[in-house]
Amino acid sequence: MALRAAVLRHLRVPVQFHALARRECQPTPCSGGSLRLFSSHDDHMTKDEVIERVLSVIKCHPKVDPSKVSPDVHFEKDLGLDSLDTVEIVMALEEEFKLEIPDKEADKIDSCNLAIEYVYNHPMAS
Amino acid sequence: MSFSSTAGYLARRAAQKERVRILYRRALKDTLNWAVHRHLFYKDASDLRERFEANRHVENLDTIDKLIENGEASYDKWRHPDPYIVPWAPGGSKFTRNPIPPAGIEIIYDYGREDH
Repeated sequence: MALRAAVLRHLRVPVQFHALARRECQPTPCSGGSLRLFSSHDDHMTKDEVIERVLSVIKCHPKVDPSKVSPDVHFEKDLGLDSLDTVEIVMALEEEFKLEIPDKEADKIDSCNLAIEYVYNHPMAS
Repeated sequence: MSFSSTAGYLARRAAQKERVRILYRRALKDTLNWAVHRHLFYKDASDLRERFEANRHVENLDTIDKLIENGEASYDKWRHPDPYIVPWAPGGSKFTRNPIPPAGIEIIYDYGREDH
């Protein structure tokens, strides 16, 4: 007991130093790293990040061949999807970017380019 | 005459396709509202998709109209009373809450002594 108390009395953990060092190691939110602030809307996305995340969502759709996906594919003409699959992809994009797209506008999104443009220009996308 | 009837047919067909797409979109969202967990949603979503796929090859325009009306009626009947709304959207939990003050504005907490 006495030994433990003696050791504890002499032990000093530089807490602040550790915290600062760890913060420096973390990637910045904008660089597409693992840190994403799920409740905030201040993390402005770069175009590259938008493209990367849109493509990853499209590749995750079960009917899509991931090797065919590129930033300028048309969902129905190039990927061989039908209109209901397109609806599913747009809904997945809404969930990925925390958006709520009005029905009429979501209906217009039928290609990867349009999806990227829409998400990138949306003020609330994150 | 035949050209105008063809154009009319195509226009009606396009309108029907749009209605189906929007109905599917709303129904899919509603399925997500009803599902308590993701793994339940996947099952319900594929069931919903099968209900749409069952009438995929119907050609008669009036039959299609009737089917769409049935679908919309059943969507209306089973609509969720408290759907999920994205937080920032009107009706969402974050709507008009705690707007961030613009840069350069700072709040001075001077409780009750503002006029001194």
